[in-house]
Formats: sequence, C-alpha cells, structure tokens
Amino acid sequence: MHARTDNRFSKLGYIGIFALLAATLAACGNNKDAESAAPASAQHAETPANDNSAIQEGTNKLQEVTKQLQEAIGSQNADEVKKLGKSVNDAWLAYENSVRQAFPLEYVEVEKYVMPIFSASAYDKVDFEALTVTAAKLQGALDALKNAKPTTANTSELLLQAVDNYKKYVQEQADQMVVQAKLFTDAVKAGNIDEAKRLYPQARVNFERIEPIAESFGDLDPRIDAREADVEDIGAWTGIHRIEKALWAENSLAGMDKYADQLVADIQELQQKVSSFELEPKGMVAGAMELLNEAATSKITGEEEVFSHLDLVDFAANVEGSKTVYLSIIPALNEKNPDLGSQLDTQFQKMEQVLLAYQKNGEYVTYDKLTTEQIREISDELSVLSTLMSQTASIL
Amino acid sequence: MSMGEESNKGGMSRLDFLKMSAVAGVGLIVGGAGMKVIERATGSDRNKAVDGNIEGEQVEMYGEHQAGIVTPQQTYMYLASFKIVAADLAAVIRLMKDWTKFSDLSTSGGSMRTGDNPMLPPSDTGETYDLPASGLTVTFGFGPSLFGVGGGDRYGLAGKLPIYLKDIPRMPREKLDATMSGGDVIVQVCADDQQVAFHAIRNFIRLSTGAATLNWLNEGFISGRPGTTPRNLFGFKDGTANVLHQTSAGFDQVVWAGEDEPEWMRGGTYMAFRKIRMLLEVWDRSSMAEQQDTFGRYKESGAAYGKQGEFDEVDASKLPDTAHVRLAKESKQLIHRRGYSYTDGVDPRTGNVNAGLLFISYQRNPEEQFIPMLKLMQSNDKLNEYTLHIASGMFACPGGIRQGEYIGQKLFES
Repeated sequence: MHARTDNRFSKLGYIGIFALLAATLAACGNNKDAESAAPASAQHAETPANDNSAIQEGTNKLQEVTKQLQEAIGSQNADEVKKLGKSVNDAWLAYENSVRQAFPLEYVEVEKYVMPIFSASAYDKVDFEALTVTAAKLQGALDALKNAKPTTANTSELLLQAVDNYKKYVQEQADQMVVQAKLFTDAVKAGNIDEAKRLYPQARVNFERIEPIAESFGDLDPRIDAREADVEDIGAWTGIHRIEKALWAENSLAGMDKYADQLVADIQELQQKVSSFELEPKGMVAGAMELLNEAATSKITGEEEVFSHLDLVDFAANVEGSKTVYLSIIPALNEKNPDLGSQLDTQFQKMEQVLLAYQKNGEYVTYDKLTTEQIREISDELSVLSTLMSQTASIL
Repeated sequence: MSMGEESNKGGMSRLDFLKMSAVAGVGLIVGGAGMKVIERATGSDRNKAVDGNIEGEQVEMYGEHQAGIVTPQQTYMYLASFKIVAADLAAVIRLMKDWTKFSDLSTSGGSMRTGDNPMLPPSDTGETYDLPASGLTVTFGFGPSLFGVGGGDRYGLAGKLPIYLKDIPRMPREKLDATMSGGDVIVQVCADDQQVAFHAIRNFIRLSTGAATLNWLNEGFISGRPGTTPRNLFGFKDGTANVLHQTSAGFDQVVWAGEDEPEWMRGGTYMAFRKIRMLLEVWDRSSMAEQQDTFGRYKESGAAYGKQGEFDEVDASKLPDTAHVRLAKESKQLIHRRGYSYTDGVDPRTGNVNAGLLFISYQRNPEEQFIPMLKLMQSNDKLNEYTLHIASGMFACPGGIRQGEYIGQKLFES
C-alpha cells in the first residue's frame, strides 16, 4: 500500500493551466485595447489575409454552385437539383469551419439555408417553389458573408445578441405553430381523419422545437402537450395527444371539436406570451439542454407518440431547437470555448446524418419500425451531443 | 461525516480547492466528449486507511502486471464490455489516456476536480467523496474484434493480434446471448466497497462518451474470510486449485503471457469469461450426496473425496467419473480463477431467481489451459445438470504500465 506523491503533479498541471489562462486573459486584454484604439477598418486588415481569402474563395465557389442550383430549379430539373443540393452542402462543409470562427453571425445565416437544400436532395419529390426561395436566401446570406466584418463585441454583448436572435426564432416558431394548429384542427373538425393524420407531424414540430419555453408558462405546456400517461385525471386530459389517440387508436374524431378549439386557443395564448417574455442567456442555454434531455428520455423511448409512433419527428424537432441555441451562441463559444464549438459542429452534423437515414421524402420512419440496434445508434449519437451540449454553460 | 470535515484532514479543504480553481475553471479542457477534467479534486486524505480498517487500503495500479489479476479477490466486481466507436486510432488513444488518468485517480481514492461554474455539470459523480480507495483495482482487456477479427481492421491493429486471442469456440450445451458476450474492450473493476466499484465503472462509462459505447455490464459479489477460499452460490468452495500456483514462479507458469507474444502482451494475460446461470432452485432440492458427487468434494470442508483437508492433493480415481473436480484434474491444466457470483432478478416464467457465476479465469495460453478443459466439462460435467452457459468472452489483457504511461500504450503506439 502506497502513499503516493503524484498529487504534486496535478497541482503543477493546475498552475500550468492557471498561467496559460492568465496569459490568454492578458492577451485578450491587449486585443481589446487595440480594438478600442483602432478603427474598424484597421481591425479588418489585421485579420490574417490567408484566412480571409480562403473564406472569400470558398464563398465564391459556393455561390457558383448555388447559381447552378438556381438554374436547375428554374428549369425544373429534379435530378440536377438533387445532385447540386449535395454539392452545395459539400462546398459549404469544405470551409464552414473557418467561417464559424471568423464570422459567426453570418455563419448562422448560411447554415440556416444550406441544411434544407441538402435535406431536399434526399427526397424523391422536389419542392421547386420552396427551394427557389431558400436558394435565393442562401445567395443573400453569402453576399452578406463576403462583406462581413469581424465582430468587436465582448462576450456578454455577444450573449445578449444571441438571446435576441434566439427570441426571434422562438417567435417565428410560435407564429408558425398557430398556422399549423389551425390547419390541423380544421381537418379534425371536418372529421377528415386522413387529412388530420397527414397534418399532425407539422402541428408537432414547432412546439417541440421550443418546448422548454412553453414549459415556463405554467400549465400551458400540459394543456397543449400532456401525454395520457402524464395526466392524473384522464377526464381532464386535453391537447394534441388526446387528438392523436382519437386519430390512431380510436379511428374516430367524434367529440374532438372541443379539444381542437381549445388547442388553437392555447397555442394562440402561447404565441401571445412568447411575444413579451424575458429570456436570459442562462435560460436559453439551459433550455437547449432540456430539449436534448426531452429527446433522450421520452422520444428515444417511444413514449411521446404512443399512438402515432411519430417520435422521431419530435426527436428531430428537439434537436433542431437545441441546434438553434447552439448556432446563436457560436460567437460566444468562439470567444470562450472554440474547441467545444467545433466539436458541437461535428456532432450536430453526425446527429443530422443519422436522422436523415430514417427519413423518406421528408417523413420519418415510425418508431415501431425501428430495431433496438437502430434506436441505440440514434441514442448513442444523442448521448455524445448531450454531453457536449452540457458544457456550453462554460460560456456564461 | 460531511465532505468538509473529511477534506480538512488532508490539509486543504475541498472548498479551498474550489476557490483556487475559480479562474482555472473557465479554461475547461474539452476533449472527445467535452468532459475531460480528470484532475484530482482533493488531497490524499482519502488514501489513508480509515481507522486502520483494511477497506481503506490502496492497491497499486502501476507495475509489471495490471492489478486485479493476481490481486486477492475483493468483495465486489463490475465487468463492463465496450464497443469502440472512436473515429480513428488517435481517438482510441485519447480514450485510453482518459481511462488511465481516471484509474490512477480512483484507485488512489481521488475524485475529479470540479470547476467553479455552477451552471456546468460536476466533473465527478460524487458518490465516493467520503469513501476510501477500498482496494479498488481496474483491469483492462482487448477482445478479438478490436484487432479486426470477424470485421474490418478499424485501427490498424491486426498485425498485433496476440497468438491465442480468439472467441471461445462453440461448446456443447451452451445457450449464448450474443448481446451479453464479447466486445472490443473489457473493463473489470473490483473493490471491497460496492459503491466505490460502481463509481469507478460509472465514470469509465461517462468518460467513454463519443469514443465507446457500453455493450453489457455485469455485477458480481464474492465473500470469504481472509485466507479462506470463497464459496459459490451452490455453497461449494470455488478456486481451491488456485493455491497450486500462488507463487511468483507459479504465476509466470500459469498466468503471464509468454515471450512469443507481441511486445505489448509482456506481463499480460488472457481473461476467459463465461456467464454461467446456476439453477439454484433445482440444486437446493437435490440431496447432499448428489451435490457432493457433482463436485467430487465434501461440501463443508472442501476436501476432495477420500481426503481430509481442502488443500490435500486430489486423487482423481476416488471421485465420480463425471465429477466437476475430477474433470478439472484430468485436463491436467492450471488456470487462475477469479470468478464472482451474480444475481439478476427473477425469471418471470418460473419465479426462479436468475443467478449464477461470472466465471473469470486468467491464463497465459487459453488454447492449452482453458479451451480443452471447458470442452471436457461441457461434454461430461455432472454440473451441467444444474448450470447453463449464457455468455462468453476472451480478452487479451496487456501488461502493466509505469506512471505516465497509459493502458495499452505499447499496443497503440509501437
């Protein structure tokens, strides 16, 4: 039995980190002095030329491919659109890392439009109309990237900016949620089971993307989203899962009108509350984690959509909502924890790739069709993502 | 005892330490899965035996051989099998380094340092904050699949496959569950405190996120007074024959891999694993005579038939033809047994308790020492009436390491 002395080593390592950090802080301090002293244009010139020219070059290439894509969309050439959709993604992946480091805000904009173009390339049927809009927006985002200036904001400013951006997203989702809820409940009230089933997933995603926000408004979340297993008094059970049961288990929409009306009213109330709610960086980052925890506890186990088995729809929406927070905090991550930023980037890509394999024409395979191994594969990627995401609070 | 009280004994309280780390916490070292702050949190106060109690003791992890192989058996064990999913060899090495670091930390009674940011999850799960090292040992082994056997050679290790590393061939009367068998890496954690053992395996699992995923996990226990042979769940002494080689020369002959093995196996060994379901209810209804005939030993004394003492030399001719011990002797081989009992809930169909033996043996040449013995027993052993082999595995355990090295370094870097 030994009394060991290697404690000394960890203490040394410790001081090592401390010194390194002190040096980094000092360097940051210097930078800031320089920043405040020098005009913005001088700042721009200070950025290593090779970095910037790589971004310019990559962006030119990506714009070129996007232009070809737009032409293919114009001539309604589906095969070509699919092929170029993949090329757009490849062209972006080839240099996105340097963009994320240098121009995080512009990065997020580009990322937002590349993803749906890439996804569409895997669908059998091409939605030319939607792609026309997305491709045009991508070109716009790329123009902005070419003219981007390095940010001079400090971390807390970057975080406030992140919250602002994220709040816009939350509002968009809430607005869209109202639209989708109306479409869905119209079908329900018309007694059109097939149509209601078709619209159901769309009525789910917006909510699942921002669920932690809904949870902050008292009993709104359970009113909208309670599962049968959650409620104490089955008679008081309301919300979308009540209708899910009617659609998939009861095969009858009799008596669903009142739930449909209340669902719309509740979602409108949510939209109202979202427009005036306060959010802090802390809450935003915690919410991103909650989303992944939701995915890890109720979606991956098939407990969220016990009747429709559309758990992967919710799962993907949870991941998307979480990714939006990640995208918003990239500037702060670059500042404080760039390693974590690039790991998250890689892992979100892996997660999306795995999910893509379970999509057909934009529709997810139902949970009951998944094998244990397939569920485990998805779960493993989510575990890695969640572990990384749990470290994002290091920027606060 | 509260954390603060105990920490103070070591000179620097946990709180002081946290204060010191206030700034350093920002500079989180983020590795493979973002959770790589494997640094000692406390002083060495946990290394001391508590009130002279043996449970507080440390087992040295560094040396020619890995600990947990010829180390006297601790009371509890966790055995975990991992599938390595790391993208490349460099990522495998990162995992091994992290695991080694955490082994060093936990076998000497330490915990991982937590930074000052309360918004982050704590680095250490914390259930051993006020527990001693408890004789914790960690033993690593590598399965055939890590070297590309039966699949692609993902990490370019095929050329370093040890001579006898292959899955145990099919045996008569086995009913193996593939999901509970084999694996790229095996981690055996043993301690005299179950919570200390679980803490270790739990954090090995956490640290593996992104580089490995857990295939299966077994939990074992074994109890015997110091100096006595522990008994299995059939009430018979298990591992009596270990005494025949319990010397340094004996271990060389029986356990430690030969010179003909790849460099990284020097000082290493092979771990054979069988999960053996024991039909306790049937056994408990069989007569004492039947039970003793099955083993060929007297239940209480452990002496072989025709002998007085447990360690008296066995005269195989005095034992029933199919007695377990007779077959073991007839194979004329020695292995180093280090098994644990397990229980695993209830079989809902019968109401019987799922229980048995996590058979683990270490040997230098499984093809000579173990496989023929297993085959003989699976074919003829009277014990088969009361047992069923349900999982299997063979792993090559690399030699020990020096401080500063990581587990398997010679395998991954030479």
